[in-house]
Amino acid sequence: MCTPAAGRGRVRLNVGGRVFETTAATLAGAGRDSMLGAMLDAAWNQGAEGEGEGVAEYFVDRDPECFAVLLDLLRTGGLHVPPQITEGALCREALYYGLLDRVRAARWGEFEGDRLRLAASVAGRAPGDGTAVRAAPDGGCCVAHGGVVRVYNWMLEERRPVYLDHAPVNDAAYLDEATLLVAARERPGRRDGGVAAFSALTGDLHHRFRIAHDRQIRSFTPGALAFDHRCKIFASCKGRFNEYGIGVWDYNTGDQADFFYEPPGCALGDADKLQWLDGTNTLMVTTMFPRTDNSFISLLDFRDKNVAWSWSDVGTPASLEDKHVLHAIAMEDGRSVCVINQYDDLGFLDLRNNAVGVRWRSRSKLTTRKKTHNEETCYPKLAAHDGQLFASTNDTISVFSGPDHILTSTLRGSDAGAICDFSIGGDRLFALHNEENVFDVWDTPPPPVI
Amino acid sequence: MSSQKKRSSRIEPFRHRVETDPNFFEKAWRKLEDAIGEIYNHNASGLSFEELYRTAYNMVLHKHGPKLYDKLTENMKGHLQEMRTSIEAAQGGLFLEELQRKWDDHNKALQMIRDILMYMDRTFIPTNKKTGVFDLGLELWRDTIVRSAKIHGRLLDTLLDLIHRERMGEVINRSLMRSTTKMLMDLGSSVYQDDFERPFLEVSASFYSGESQRFIECCACGEYLKKAQQRLDEEAERVSQYMDAKTDEKITAVVVKEMLANHMQRLILMDNSGLVNMLVEDRFEDLTRMYSLFQRVHDGHSTIKSVMTSHVKETGRNMVTDPERLKDPVDFVQKLLNEKDKYDSIVTTSFSNDKSFQNALNSSFEYFINLNNRCPEFISLYVDDKLRKGMKEANEEAVETVLDKVMMLFRYLQEKDLFEKYYKQHLAKRLLSGKAASDDSERSMLVKLKTECGYQFTSKLEGMFTDLKTSQDTTQGFYAASSDLGDAPTISVQILTTGSWPTQPCSPCSLPPEILGVSEMFRGYYLGTHNGRRLTWQTNMGTADIKAVFGNGSKHELNVSTYQMCVLMLFNLVDCLTYRDIEQTTAIPAVDLKRCLQSLALVKGKNVLRKEPMSRDISDNDNFYVNDKFTSKLFKVKIGTVATQKESEPEKMETRQRVEEDRKPQIEAAIVRIMKSRRVLDHNSIVTEVTKQLQPRFMPNPVVIKKRIESLIEREFLERDKNDRKLYLYLA
Repeated sequence: MCTPAAGRGRVRLNVGGRVFETTAATLAGAGRDSMLGAMLDAAWNQGAEGEGEGVAEYFVDRDPECFAVLLDLLRTGGLHVPPQITEGALCREALYYGLLDRVRAARWGEFEGDRLRLAASVAGRAPGDGTAVRAAPDGGCCVAHGGVVRVYNWMLEERRPVYLDHAPVNDAAYLDEATLLVAARERPGRRDGGVAAFSALTGDLHHRFRIAHDRQIRSFTPGALAFDHRCKIFASCKGRFNEYGIGVWDYNTGDQADFFYEPPGCALGDADKLQWLDGTNTLMVTTMFPRTDNSFISLLDFRDKNVAWSWSDVGTPASLEDKHVLHAIAMEDGRSVCVINQYDDLGFLDLRNNAVGVRWRSRSKLTTRKKTHNEETCYPKLAAHDGQLFASTNDTISVFSGPDHILTSTLRGSDAGAICDFSIGGDRLFALHNEENVFDVWDTPPPPVI
Repeated sequence: MSSQKKRSSRIEPFRHRVETDPNFFEKAWRKLEDAIGEIYNHNASGLSFEELYRTAYNMVLHKHGPKLYDKLTENMKGHLQEMRTSIEAAQGGLFLEELQRKWDDHNKALQMIRDILMYMDRTFIPTNKKTGVFDLGLELWRDTIVRSAKIHGRLLDTLLDLIHRERMGEVINRSLMRSTTKMLMDLGSSVYQDDFERPFLEVSASFYSGESQRFIECCACGEYLKKAQQRLDEEAERVSQYMDAKTDEKITAVVVKEMLANHMQRLILMDNSGLVNMLVEDRFEDLTRMYSLFQRVHDGHSTIKSVMTSHVKETGRNMVTDPERLKDPVDFVQKLLNEKDKYDSIVTTSFSNDKSFQNALNSSFEYFINLNNRCPEFISLYVDDKLRKGMKEANEEAVETVLDKVMMLFRYLQEKDLFEKYYKQHLAKRLLSGKAASDDSERSMLVKLKTECGYQFTSKLEGMFTDLKTSQDTTQGFYAASSDLGDAPTISVQILTTGSWPTQPCSPCSLPPEILGVSEMFRGYYLGTHNGRRLTWQTNMGTADIKAVFGNGSKHELNVSTYQMCVLMLFNLVDCLTYRDIEQTTAIPAVDLKRCLQSLALVKGKNVLRKEPMSRDISDNDNFYVNDKFTSKLFKVKIGTVATQKESEPEKMETRQRVEEDRKPQIEAAIVRIMKSRRVLDHNSIVTEVTKQLQPRFMPNPVVIKKRIESLIEREFLERDKNDRKLYLYLA
C-alpha cells in the first residue's frame, strides 16, 4: 500500500509525452463513467498496489494541448480554449475522455432572455428560402428548406440531413434530442410526403405515420406538427378527398389514434401552427392570414371531440386599419393568447372567455420599420419562454418581460436579411435569416467565476 | 447556386484510401479477446487499461463498431458457457454458492469490459439503438445461465425447497438466499417475477391451503388466529430479509386468502370459541387479533359486525323481556349499563374504536331497548335512585359519569316523551319530599336532557325548580309580614304552578285546626300579594315533623306525611279511634288512609299506633290506640309511607293513556305545520314527514296519525282533494 508520503492522492499523467500532475480527487470529478474515472478505478490497478511507493503514473496516448484544456475544465469548471485549438479537435478529445457533456455545460448557461449573446452564425448551403428552424433539446437544431431538413448537433456540426422522399418540408419538430419529426407535402400524383420520424443522429427513417379514412390508407399533406407529454403526435392534415382536419398518432405504437374532422366554419386542415396546452389538455390550432383570408384560432378538446374555444377575425370592421393577425402563441399560463399583426402590434385574447375580441396594446411599435428598405420582409413571429415573450420583426428579435410585457432587450445579429423563423430550446435561441439561410445562435454565457 | 461556385474554386485533394492494415481488426480484437480472457481468469493486473481503451476506440473510429459488438457478444457467451458447466457440476448445497460465486465474477468482469468499451457505449450503441454493454452482459447471463435447461428448474426448486424448509423450522443460509434473489432482481423485474415470484406464490398458496386445513380441524378459533398471525409475521419478515419489497403485498394476500378468507365463516362462527364466545368471555386479546386479521379480508369486518350485532340483539332481547328482571328496575337498568360498558370497552380496546362498530352497537341497543315499553319508566327510576341517595356514598363526579351513561341509554329510547312523563313525576317526588340529594346533580341532568332534546323538553322541569325557589321566598315573606302567629306550628309552603307539576286530582282532607288556621292565614297573605290566582292545598304531597310524648315517657320527633299527621293529631284528644272514625274526621281517601295507617301501625320499629286486631289488613271496624310502648333508639323517627316505587299495573295503564292523550296535539301540530308549508300532500308523505319531525320525542303510530288527519278534516283544517282522494289540501 501507499506510504503516507507527499505523493498520497497525487496522480501523474503522461499525456502524449507531456507530464501532468494532479490529484485523484480532481480526476474523480470526471465521474466513474468516464475514461479517466475507469482508469483510476481499483479494478484496473490491482497489480500496481504493491510497488506503488511514490506517485502513480499513467500514460495516455493523446494530444497534450487538448488535455490541458480538459484538465483545466475538471479543475475549475470553466472552459478556456486557446485559439490554436480547433473546436473539432477539442470535441474529439472530450469525446475520447467521455467529457463531452461537461464541455457543453461549460459552454453556455441557463437561458436568460435578457443576457443573450450571439454565439455563432452558421451559413447554410442549400439553395432557396429556409422554411423553419427548430431547436433541439440538447442545444442542436435543424433547418428545413425545400425537400431537406439539415440537422446540426450542439457543436453546430452538420449531421446527415433528413429527407422524406425529397418532398418539400412544411414543418419539423424534435420529439426528443434523438428523434426528429418531419411533415412533408404530398406532390400531385406521387403519393409521397406525410409525417415521419427520423433519427436525428443518423438521419435514418424510423417510422412513417399513416392516415386511414374508412379503413383505407390515404395520402395527405401535413401542415404543422405538435406533440403532448403522453406521446401523442398531432398534425394538421389536408387529404386528397377533402379529408381536412387534425390527425393524431401514438408515438409508442406508431398507429393512428384519432382524427378530428374539420367542422364547418373551423379551419383546421390548413393550420400553420399547432400548440399543445398542458393546463387545459387542449390543442391550439391557428390558421393565419395570408394562408387563408381570415385568421382563425381554436382550442380542441380531444377527449370529447369538441371545439372548446375559438376566435376568428371574420366580420371585424375593416376600418381598423385592416389589421391582420399573422402569428399567435398561447402564453405559458394557459389563460391568454398573444397575437401580432403586420404593423408589429401585440394583442391579447382571453382564453377563459369565448367570443371576445383582440385587446391590442396601445401603440407598441417595436422598431421603426425601415420602410425604405427594398428587400423582402418577413411576417413577424412570436415565442414564449419562461415568462418572457419573444417577437421577431424584420431582422430583430424583441424580448418582452414581466406581467405587462415591457420591452427589455432587442437582438440583432447577422446582416442577412429579415428573420423568417426562430426557435428556443436547449437553452439556446436560433434565428433563421431569410437570405442565404444563415442562422444565428444566441445563448447565455455561463455564470461568471466571481 | 452559390455553393457550386465555391466548390469549383476549391482544389479537390487526391483521394486515396488510407487503409492502415488489412488485419487491423483481427489484431485489435485478439488483443481485447486476450484481455477479456485474463479478466475472467482473475488475472487482470498485467493489463493496461489505457491501451485496451485506445484499441477499442480505434476500432469504433474505423467503423468496426458492428463487428466489435458481434464479437464481444460471441466472446462473452463463450465465457458464460464455461461458467455454466462449472455451475452445473456443483453438487447439492454447493449449487447456489457456485452460482453466486460465478455471478460475482461475471459482474466484476462485466464492469471492466464495459470500461474498455466505454467509447462504443457512448457513440456506436445509442446511434444504432443497441443494448448497452452492461445490459448485454446481464441479458447473456440470463439466457445462458439462469434460463438454461439444466439450471432454470434446479435453481427454482432449490430456492423453493429452502423456503419450505425454513417454514418447517429449519435454519437456512439467508444471506445466500438474499444474494440469489438480488441477482434475479438485477436481471430485471420480469426475470424475478417470472422465474421466482410467481412459482413462489403458487407453492405458498398450496402450502397454506394444506396447513390451514390441518389447523382448522384441530384448533380453536383463537389459537388458529394466533397461528395465522404468526405465519403472516413470518412471511413479512422473510420478504424483508431476502426478497423484493413488492413481494410483501402479494405473499400477504396469498396467506390471507388461504388462511383467513377461505375459512372466514367457519372461524367466526366456530362453536365454543368463535366470535360469540370471545364476546361472552371478554377475550380482548383474541378479539383484537380477529379484528386486525379480518381487516385484510374483503367484507371481513362486516361479517364480524353482523355476527356481533345479532348476538347483542339476542342477549339484549332476553334481558329486557325476562319477567324476572323486571321486578327490580334499578338492577334492570344497571344490567343494561353494564352490558353497554362491556361492549363499549370491547369496541375501544379490541376494535380500535371503529366508528362503524360503534354504530352497529348503537343500533342493536336501540333495537332491544325499545322492545320493552317499560324502559323509559325504568330508566327514570334508575336516575331517581341515583339522585336520591347516590350522594351519600358517591361524590358528584361519580354521579356525573353515571348520568352520562344513562343519557346513552336515553338516546336509544324511541318514546322520549314517556320518559319525560316519568321523570317529571319522579323529580316532583324528589323535590317535594326534599330527598333530592344534590341540586347540582339535578341541574346537570337537566342540562343533559336539554342538550339532547332541546329547550321545550325541559322547560316544565325547569319550572319546577323555579317554583321551589320562589316558594322559599314567599314563605319567608309570609313570616316577615305576619308577626302575630303566636305558637302556631311553623309551615313551609311549596307553591306549584299548575301544568308544570304532575299533580293528581286531590280531594281535600280536613286539616287539624292548628294547621288550618295558619294555612288560611298564608292563603290570605298569598292571594293578597298576587292577584287573580287560585290556591289549592295538595294535602297528599306534604310532610310534617311532630313532637310526640308517649305513655312510657319517651320523647320523639316524628317525620310523617300530611295524612299521617292528620291521623296522629286526632290522638291528642282521644286514646282510641276506629277506622271509620278516622275516615270520617279526616276525609282522607280510603286507599291513602289505609296505606297511611299501615305504615303507622304495622311497620316494625316504627309502629307508633297499635291496632286491634293485629292483622295485616285494615278493615272498617279496626281500633287504633297510641302505642305507649313505642321505643326507638333514634330521637328522630322517619315514618315512611307504604308506597310502591314502581307503578302498579293500573297506574301504568293510566300513564300510558295520558301519554297517548298528550301526543295527539303534538301530532296535530306537526301535521298542520307541514301542511301549512306544503299546501298539498299525499297521505304517505304526510306520515313520513310527521314521523321525521316527531322522531326525537317518540315514534308516532301511523294509525294514530291517520286518526288525527281525519280529526283535522272534521275541524276543517284540511280537506281531501276532490279528484284525488289520497291528496290533502291545507285550508288557511
